[in-house]
Amino acid sequence: MMGLFYMLVFPGFIFLSVFGMAAEYCDRKLYARLQNRVGPPWFQPLADFIKLVSKEEIIPEEANPSMFKIMPVLALTATITAFFYIPAWGYKALYSFNGDLIVVLYLLTIPTLTFFLGGWYSTSLYSKIGAVRALTQLFAYEVPLLMSILAPALLANSWSLSEIAKFYAQHPVYWFFNLLGFAISMISLLGKLEKVPFDIPEAETEIVGGTFTEYGGKLLGLFRLGIDIEAIVGSALLAAVFLPFGLGLPPVAGFLLFVLKVMGVICTLSILRTIFARLRIDQMMAFCWKVLAPLAFVQLFIDLILKWIPLK
Amino acid sequence: MGLVHKIVTWSRIKSPWIIHFNTGACNACDIEIVAALTPRYDIERFGIQLKGTPRHADVLVCSGPVTKQIKCRLKRIYDQMPEPKFVVAVGTCACSGGVFDGCYNVESGIDKVIPVSAYIPGCPASPKAIIDGVVKLLTGLEAKEAKAK
Repeated sequence: MMGLFYMLVFPGFIFLSVFGMAAEYCDRKLYARLQNRVGPPWFQPLADFIKLVSKEEIIPEEANPSMFKIMPVLALTATITAFFYIPAWGYKALYSFNGDLIVVLYLLTIPTLTFFLGGWYSTSLYSKIGAVRALTQLFAYEVPLLMSILAPALLANSWSLSEIAKFYAQHPVYWFFNLLGFAISMISLLGKLEKVPFDIPEAETEIVGGTFTEYGGKLLGLFRLGIDIEAIVGSALLAAVFLPFGLGLPPVAGFLLFVLKVMGVICTLSILRTIFARLRIDQMMAFCWKVLAPLAFVQLFIDLILKWIPLK
Repeated sequence: MGLVHKIVTWSRIKSPWIIHFNTGACNACDIEIVAALTPRYDIERFGIQLKGTPRHADVLVCSGPVTKQIKCRLKRIYDQMPEPKFVVAVGTCACSGGVFDGCYNVESGIDKVIPVSAYIPGCPASPKAIIDGVVKLLTGLEAKEAKAK
């Protein structure tokens, strides 16, 4: 019974949907304000979602209906599951075991794979181009993201997110040495969420809607919700690994601090998305492999050196 | 049923996504439509977003008289949009054919090919008129829903 409550209400589906929509609103409003305009009203993500859910569902004749329908649901469930392993408030995640860091990263990769499969199975030319681009992009940002998040784990000597948070709460000085990794993972997260400098897979102005070209109605609504929740989970992961402050606070204050941290990451992402323009796929690959990946290696070496020569 | 219906209507009015389609216009109306989409007029205030694909869109914004060549394409784009969908004809040519009415290569206005929900006259229609037209379409929708109930 408690498990069902965790899954559906808090911190599961309903909580994450509301939080995800709030984050989408903040993102869009900030984006609008930075462009010197008023921006959408507070209920905009909710209105978009209800409208999409109430629309007609069209499945292309050529598409594989079951794969086409199951992909948005898979994206949504994978991201919600990932949230259970992230310590949100307090030191301990809802479910935690040694190695949950890898599981979270793996679960966060699933949405990208569903974008690829969903695009591929809709058999439209544009969605196929978008799907291939999504997969190409995955190979570019995934390596720096993984390395920059594994570096703090290496220093903390644990693959468990709760253990990592505990370690950094005990040794706050080490936090300064992970700032480089924080920046790298932030940029990689932009790629994962397909936000503007890296929105190559769904570039509306060149390949109409990319992966989502053939999606409409309910399925598109679920995909959008999945992306919103992915943003929350990704930001929560970054907050848990790179900003482990104030974890010993009482429940309500700890929860507010957690929301503040996630919003901080989301707002930084939307500022980044305002000031950059879309890159080409080859530029993105070159940037990720020639700049981000070596920097992530530097971060790994910093943490290795710290491990050999501990700070006193 | 009543409350759900009300919420759905509300969401439809608050979140119209548009797709822009040139049915043979001289480009003047298209420039005005693009101008209406810029931050200067900020139509995201009304929840309006430009979408690239007809599958995502609710409102088809057409400009120009329907040429014989574009007729079947216009029909196909319209069929690709999921229900409920609306069509807005922007500019005098889109409303009635304008100066091109009766030309050998032109099929008069948009409403000869697909049903049109709102007409926005002008040569070209100004961005303010376009925004006003879309808002009137949406408020008209609300009134129609209220009457149907």
